[in-house]
Amino acid sequence: MQIKNFLTLEEASRDELREVLDLARTYEAGHMVPTLAGKTVCLAFFEASTRTAVSFELAARRAGADVISLSEKGSAIQKGESLIDTVVTLDALGADAIVIRHPAAGAARLAARYTNAAIVNAGDGCGQHPTQALLDLHALSNSLGDFDELVGRKVAVVGDVLHSRVARSVIPAFRAAGMEVSLVAPDTLLPREAEAWGCPILPSVDDALDWGAEVLYTLRLQNERMTSRSPRVPSVAEYARYYGVAKRHLKPGVLVMHPGPVNRGVEISGDVVLANSSLVPDQVASGIAVRSAVLALAVSAAQKVAA
Amino acid sequence: MTDGPTRVSGDLIIRDAHVLDPASGLDGIADVRLSDGRVAEVGENLRGTRRLDADGLHLFPGFVDVHAHWRTPGREDEETIETGSAAAAAGGFTSVVMMPNTDPIVDRPVVVSGLVRRVERESRVRAYVSAALHEGLEGERLTEMRLLKEAGAFCVSDDGLGTQSAGVLRNAMLYAKSAGLPVILHCEDHTLATGVVHDGVAAALAGMPGSPGSAEDVATATALVLATETGARVHVTHVSTALSAALVGFFKGRGDITADTTPHHLTLTDDLVGTLEGLYRVNPPLRPDADRLDVGKALKDGILDFVATDHAPHASEEKELPLEEAAPGFLGHETAFSALYTELVAKPGGRLSLSRLVETMACTPGRWVKGGAYGISPGAPADLTLVDLSEQWTVRAEALVSRSSNSPYLGRRLEGRVVGTMVGGELVYDGMGARFGARV
Repeated sequence: MQIKNFLTLEEASRDELREVLDLARTYEAGHMVPTLAGKTVCLAFFEASTRTAVSFELAARRAGADVISLSEKGSAIQKGESLIDTVVTLDALGADAIVIRHPAAGAARLAARYTNAAIVNAGDGCGQHPTQALLDLHALSNSLGDFDELVGRKVAVVGDVLHSRVARSVIPAFRAAGMEVSLVAPDTLLPREAEAWGCPILPSVDDALDWGAEVLYTLRLQNERMTSRSPRVPSVAEYARYYGVAKRHLKPGVLVMHPGPVNRGVEISGDVVLANSSLVPDQVASGIAVRSAVLALAVSAAQKVAA
Repeated sequence: MTDGPTRVSGDLIIRDAHVLDPASGLDGIADVRLSDGRVAEVGENLRGTRRLDADGLHLFPGFVDVHAHWRTPGREDEETIETGSAAAAAGGFTSVVMMPNTDPIVDRPVVVSGLVRRVERESRVRAYVSAALHEGLEGERLTEMRLLKEAGAFCVSDDGLGTQSAGVLRNAMLYAKSAGLPVILHCEDHTLATGVVHDGVAAALAGMPGSPGSAEDVATATALVLATETGARVHVTHVSTALSAALVGFFKGRGDITADTTPHHLTLTDDLVGTLEGLYRVNPPLRPDADRLDVGKALKDGILDFVATDHAPHASEEKELPLEEAAPGFLGHETAFSALYTELVAKPGGRLSLSRLVETMACTPGRWVKGGAYGISPGAPADLTLVDLSEQWTVRAEALVSRSSNSPYLGRRLEGRVVGTMVGGELVYDGMGARFGARV
């Protein structure tokens, strides 16, 4: 694969997804080679993040890279340096890969224009979060046995699709993997033209199970969606009743996923988060191998471009 | 009383009434046979175990009022489900939608389920609960519309206060659409509606703070734009200005939009401001005659879909005050048909046909509430209204069935009167007492 920049999964092909997951699988099997020895991976986080930052840092180190993190307090980012200036600076310092998290959609794409280093999008606004979707596919493939097992299965993406970069990556990723996708959300949490995805839109998790969902992929609901500035959901009680996954939904053959961090009792009831059918811990665990694979492939592609 | 026929043993024949039902095209003398609370047959010389002679009377499909305040819970001194539904029955209404601006406001599922249970026990007519569109009708947080619907809410509304933020209104419409609930909107911009009467000549002469027509028009335009964009099922209530009626006409067909106006906006004008009497304060305020005429024309032409009374009882201590200090609102149920018949149909040069009046009081609001055909046809619930068009009567406070007396028609002589109302084949109002009793 010749992908220098992991910006979006909108156009990802099944083969491309498989290549990343296959490589991640060899890493997990213990065949991690220091592909990135001598390389420099920079984490430029313009937005707070714990699990993604930690996951990328571990992934880069496991692959042998030197890691520079600009997410800490006191960095140029904290001082208000612009996205482009930060990227140009990192480029000049010899970064081989820059991992960017930014509150505005399109930030990673913009950054890619100012550097020869590989750019990995670690989440841009409500745009894309490609490595999240890749690790989700990986966790799901592992749970079902193989990537090919995903073909023909039904997944319901539940919750705040409107504000979710995760949704915008997992929807095309699940489909590229051969899955059927439905959306479960009130109109207030869907883009106005949600029909553009061509997925059925269902009114509740119960309806999703009636539809035949085998995977319930739940999204995080921010509390601010209930406040007066832009009220989109009336209450936790009503949200949990129709869009929350509860114990009663845990039928054999139904898996529950969430990109984290989970609001217990909102998207997923407390007794489901760590239930046997929950893949939440598996998703987090998949992150390192998948991100190592992404960084390795991206840096390798960047070198070929440079050569 | 909620949906479903009430059982009455044996068949009842309503004999020789002039049956007028635009929905089923009936317009002539006929017999109507009722069986098991439903209309069984319309024809000639029908037979049954009981008979109600109605020669000289008109028989209409039961009137439907999509806008009423029965003040329960909280102001039972002004109206109760019992008295409000009795007043509705006396006005020929067989189905009524109750607005949510009570105390407490109908914004929680437990309040809705409580009201639904009370309606079953206490209401003489079919009554539907409208829940609040936002918490406390404060225009900030959405109500739990899906849970409200499960508890028995029929629709959601911001009546009485409106929704000041277009952003909140848009989300509320989207959410109501997801919840499968129609939305009834009170269109009023509070930054413009700062007075107590219409901001016109009468207000100027009387020295009364006026609210301009734009207070309604701006909010109506906002609501209609958002209804069009969201695709929600939106009903604009109490349209009172020429421009708002025209706006409804423009947006109709672009969205799932309907609208009503009230008997008082069709029959009264802001000339009454000159009396300075608190009795005549209402919201939206009475408008100049030009608005009244255009609103009437919009109703005639079908731009406005139907009439709703905005029946709003108030205690005398809230109405017998200077106009500026009085509570806004009129009684509506008991005078609606007579006032409209007198002013718009019977009056020389009357601009509305009797058939259109029946359509706008029964068939169209009936269809809006029931979600299907509404009229006098075999199989339909026997919700019927009997009217004596020849009767003339004077509206008197002591004769009103409502617990309150704030009718703007007090002392007026009206033509045409409801003399009998049936819900599910059961006589829930008998305005002729002995006569019906003798013949049944």
